[in-house]
Amino acid sequence: MQDQILIEMKGVQKWYGGYQALRDVDLTVRKGEKIVLCGPSGSGKSTLIRCINRLEAIQQGSIVVNGHRLDDSIKAIDVVRQDVGMVFQSFNLFPHMTVLQNCTLAPIRARRASKSEAEAAARKYLERVRIGDQAEKYPAQLSGGQQQRVAIARALCMQPKVMLFDEPTSALDPEMVKEVLDTMIGLANDGMTMICVTHEMGFARQVADRVIFMADGQIIEEGAPDAFFRSPQHARTKQFLGEILAHH
Amino acid sequence: MAPHFGLPEFGFLLRGLQWTVLLTLVAFVGGCTAGLAVALLRTCGHKGVEWITRIYIGVFQGTPLLLQLFVVYYGLALTGLKLDAFVAVAIGFTVNASAFLGEIWRGAIQAVPRGQTEAAMALGLHYSSRMRDIVLPQAIRISLPATIGYLVQLIKGTSLAAIVGFIELARAGQIVSNQTFQPLLVFGVVGAMYFILCWPLSWWGSRMEARLALASQR
Repeated sequence: MQDQILIEMKGVQKWYGGYQALRDVDLTVRKGEKIVLCGPSGSGKSTLIRCINRLEAIQQGSIVVNGHRLDDSIKAIDVVRQDVGMVFQSFNLFPHMTVLQNCTLAPIRARRASKSEAEAAARKYLERVRIGDQAEKYPAQLSGGQQQRVAIARALCMQPKVMLFDEPTSALDPEMVKEVLDTMIGLANDGMTMICVTHEMGFARQVADRVIFMADGQIIEEGAPDAFFRSPQHARTKQFLGEILAHH
Repeated sequence: MAPHFGLPEFGFLLRGLQWTVLLTLVAFVGGCTAGLAVALLRTCGHKGVEWITRIYIGVFQGTPLLLQLFVVYYGLALTGLKLDAFVAVAIGFTVNASAFLGEIWRGAIQAVPRGQTEAAMALGLHYSSRMRDIVLPQAIRISLPATIGYLVQLIKGTSLAAIVGFIELARAGQIVSNQTFQPLLVFGVVGAMYFILCWPLSWWGSRMEARLALASQR
């Protein structure tokens, strides 16, 4: 079932008051696909992925996740959030809980897992992001890179079908970027469906099936990484790539 | 011949102290319970409900507590509901405390970073779990110094209950002072009792504040 469609956005429009954040966005994501979203700040890329798990409401258009149409009902939102994991720029770990408790809370509360079940699964995922020995620590005792890997493990504990990454390395010190990207690459190699908002073009080259460029709330251009980086079509894409690649 | 300040008088003050403590406890526990409800309603996201709670807080913060006690004690009596003095002041203080604690906790709930709620939502946690497991534990820590500060104000504020004839510590001191003609001694003892009650709490509150300041620096 390589062709199964997991996310389908059609004609999505979103406003913040009078400001239009998303303009007529269409996006289809198939199972196992890795997509990198890039674009200047304020282009709507974060808003786009935040609409997929309904952290933001849309005003027009439709979003279907794993066959479930997202509307305003709590039930629909619930079903969709069960299938979608998210990793934030600022980690957003729960500071008053240990690493292990961060990972077990949602499975226990939202999936009705038993404590021992949830802990066994959490330890497995913490091993997978190579942080198993820190399970009893509190987030503040970990480095930024470690915290972000915990955040990835925490999302994986809910066994999502899709993972959304919202600039996961932007808040990290440079020496910690690699450990988080390596974790994400590992996840990609295991076949996880991923949508990543990131400026890490090396990562895009290495794992993305498609790179999508956004500006002013619209998808301007998309393509396979090779073609996208070698011969961008639009002037805005060229300008953006020129600016961002000049620093690398 | 007026009696001197002796053991029986001291005992009378102690009973007053008991009532002060009891009234404080009832008002604080009741105020915490109702105040939590006020804080949750005030931050629930429903415009109408938030507005009503805002008015509730505004009314009880914006009018003198003395007036509120009058209304509960004499006002309700006019409608035929004759309340015992303790019950009346307990209700008055509870309602008043719920408005002040509600406002303190409203601020604390809103001080918990938005990202915490978003992460919880993204994980599929419902409102009750988000509040109970994520937001409130952090909000309570943030609000602890202010809450303790309010408790100290409440202890001292219970002396207002004397106005409707309830004999707590301050009123007991006044009575003993009138009997013995030793106001300096009597009110000195009364003041010491309040101090012994309040000072450790104030000290604890400022220590919590220093700790939180330290924790937020890390």
